[in-house]
Amino acid sequence: MNLSQTWTSSIEVLSNDKASKVRRIAAKGWQAVGPVVIFIVMFAVVSILTPTFIGGGGLTIVASSAAPILLVALGQALVLNIGSIDLSNASITLLGAILLAMTLGSVGAVAPILIVLLVTLFGSVNGFIVAYAQVPSFALTLGTFGIFQSAALVVSSATTVYVTQNGQAVAALYQSGVAGLPMTFILGIIVAVVSWAFLRFTRAGLGMTAIGKNESGAIFSGVRTRTLKIVAYALSGLMAGLAGITIIAQAGSASPTGLGSDLLLPGIAAAIVGGTSISGGVTNPINVVFGAMTVALVPIATAAIGIDAQAQNLVYGAVIIVVVALTLSRSKNSIVK
Amino acid sequence: MTTKATSQTSVLRLSNIDKKFGQTHALKNVSLEINHGEVIGLIGENGAGKSTLLKILTGIYQPDSGSIEVNGKSTKFRGPRDSVAAGIGVVHQEQSLFTNLTVAENIASGSKVASRFGIYRWGQINRAAAETLSIIGSSLDPSTKVSNLSFVDRQMVEIARAIRVDSTMGGSPLVILDEPTSVLERSETAILEREIRKLKAHGSVIFVSHRLDEIMRNCDRIMVMRNGELVADRVTSTVTEDELFKLMVGHEARAVSSSHRVVAADEQPVISVENLSRKGKYSNVSLSVHAGRLTAIVGSTGSGREELARALFGAEKFDSGSIAINGTKVTGWRIAKAVKRGVAYVPAERKVEGMVGGFSAAENITLTHPGKAAVGPIVFPLARNKIARTWFNTLDVRPNDIALDLARFSGGNQQKVVMAKWLNSPELSVLVLDHPLRGLDPGAAQTVNEQIKLACSNGAAVILLSDTLEEALEMGDDVIVMRDGEISATFDMTKESPSTLDLLERMV
Repeated sequence: MNLSQTWTSSIEVLSNDKASKVRRIAAKGWQAVGPVVIFIVMFAVVSILTPTFIGGGGLTIVASSAAPILLVALGQALVLNIGSIDLSNASITLLGAILLAMTLGSVGAVAPILIVLLVTLFGSVNGFIVAYAQVPSFALTLGTFGIFQSAALVVSSATTVYVTQNGQAVAALYQSGVAGLPMTFILGIIVAVVSWAFLRFTRAGLGMTAIGKNESGAIFSGVRTRTLKIVAYALSGLMAGLAGITIIAQAGSASPTGLGSDLLLPGIAAAIVGGTSISGGVTNPINVVFGAMTVALVPIATAAIGIDAQAQNLVYGAVIIVVVALTLSRSKNSIVK
Repeated sequence: MTTKATSQTSVLRLSNIDKKFGQTHALKNVSLEINHGEVIGLIGENGAGKSTLLKILTGIYQPDSGSIEVNGKSTKFRGPRDSVAAGIGVVHQEQSLFTNLTVAENIASGSKVASRFGIYRWGQINRAAAETLSIIGSSLDPSTKVSNLSFVDRQMVEIARAIRVDSTMGGSPLVILDEPTSVLERSETAILEREIRKLKAHGSVIFVSHRLDEIMRNCDRIMVMRNGELVADRVTSTVTEDELFKLMVGHEARAVSSSHRVVAADEQPVISVENLSRKGKYSNVSLSVHAGRLTAIVGSTGSGREELARALFGAEKFDSGSIAINGTKVTGWRIAKAVKRGVAYVPAERKVEGMVGGFSAAENITLTHPGKAAVGPIVFPLARNKIARTWFNTLDVRPNDIALDLARFSGGNQQKVVMAKWLNSPELSVLVLDHPLRGLDPGAAQTVNEQIKLACSNGAAVILLSDTLEEALEMGDDVIVMRDGEISATFDMTKESPSTLDLLERMV
């Protein structure tokens, strides 16, 4: 807090220093379109290096792979937006997928709904503890991450659980699609658009952003910060559950080590590449769509280009660092933790 | 008042300084002269050009035209280094010392003598610091840790650092104090004023403040800026506070109506507090405020009035006693509930608690009580902008840009937006104000005061923790004095007219 700083910055505002205004608008513009531009550029580069990539349904492959990442990332973005983090959401996805695979046969088509409700409850428990016991979210969700992962191992007996009956009810999500994009990804886009509208046009959404920007200010403005924290975590749980459904839709099975077992870091990376600030108060779910596509593209592209399998993780890491450096929102302050 | 100027050569002379930023003419042909041993008061509203002028003096901005003379020699400040070398030092309102280091380390940090080949030279550091301190008439021990110093002593270290001895080259220093008192308590202000008088023997001072009484007390000459021009340069004895206000703002101070609303005998108070206690903070506080009345609470630090005000808003817990709004006792009192019952709170910590920086002014205004900007949970940005525009016009918020991040407005304009946030509620019943005028320029202060009065006459019960006793006496229908957590006196201003001395006697 620095009053004299405000005092002088107001003069700068009044004086409308043109250069700084241009810089501000440019920064805002990049924040809006940066993630899209980066995805398009990377996609174009891969297509030029490997012309068969597009012909071979490259975009569809990327979208399929991006769908669970996107859903996890959207939940993460909502939690990052209130200035917290949810390290447990990927393990909730896995637990949800395993439970779904186990119950789909016996419970039938309502199983996905029940599972989503259950994991939403898991998420809200996270939120409740963060809001009321004031346990730092990093520590708390690191703990619940372990709990959910153990639960996934226990219920699955550490093996792959296959869907025995009614698999088609869910698999249709993956097999049908629009314009070459699977429904699982379309579901992600719908959730992104709804989240975007929620953050911009509802009092609850604006309240969440207010918490991320200045929690004290939000509290003193009468924003129900604790309730909204629980809602943010519940939504993260809900979206993690949807991600679990997309995994079953795609693979027809779930296991603690199979598809969807390593969504945590890609989920966080996708949120950040999509312009979400780690310190809270800044996110755009629409851009998270492109963040998820970028994060999904990198491993597929390295394989397509023919980079040595051993070096793929190296390239993945390096590309993520560069992309985050280009898109990370620094508008809130210059200090990034 | 006479100046102590012994020689006629001016320490600093600015001639026809002009500065434009794009379309904005920030400084128009400003000329001024400062002599050795003078204390110059510099006043003006936010945006009047004071800040630009100070930045030119400190080498941060370069003037478009005009010339600067230091000690009779024409010079150019290409950067802060040149300005420091010419003996000009600035002390900002917020302190920037390293509290875990010694006085000497703070003063010498970054100077050439401080180290050689990366090795600290303690002897040099302490000697240089002592020398600098003596120049400004301070006898602080350079080896004391800053964390052990009082606020005012720290301010002296700031001054010493600003005019570091190795850079002044023995010349007469010019110290710019940029709103040094706006965060100080009254007693600390008195000490600082004494230090300023000591400084006069060694150099000159430019004193920037929004408090006209302080300016009148401490300065030999007063310069008034308005719209980028130096509109007056007067010897203090030839002007009055009212004249200064008019010069600054461009119109006369509008009299704030001081008629008191009379309360009917059976009228129920909007808020009544009974035997409210919090261990170690306040005990057995009882008070009630009726609609359309303003109760001012005065008291020194530790009187418990801040904690009491926060408890009324549900921001802090209380141990025992009760609060009733419109006759109904509240339970589980916290901010969200208080807001729902029409209680509003303007905090002293504006940037931390009063607003959400990063949100636009329009978003801030409608965050708490969206009014027509929201239907149920859904917010309509166009309706929001309309509401914000109305408030911007009513309160004359500048710059007139409702979409601008509120953090980028000046303090006074931020405070107007904070007021608008609460006034946007049609059901405002209790307005609790914690130092609402702190750090505001007189124009903004007047706007805020008018809105307080207006809210009051619209039927709100107002509780005001004022900056000054005069403010309490001028605004209050009732004035309550608190001492050590208890109410030591209550004055009904409709029947009594206590003096500031009467209040002070019951404060200590």
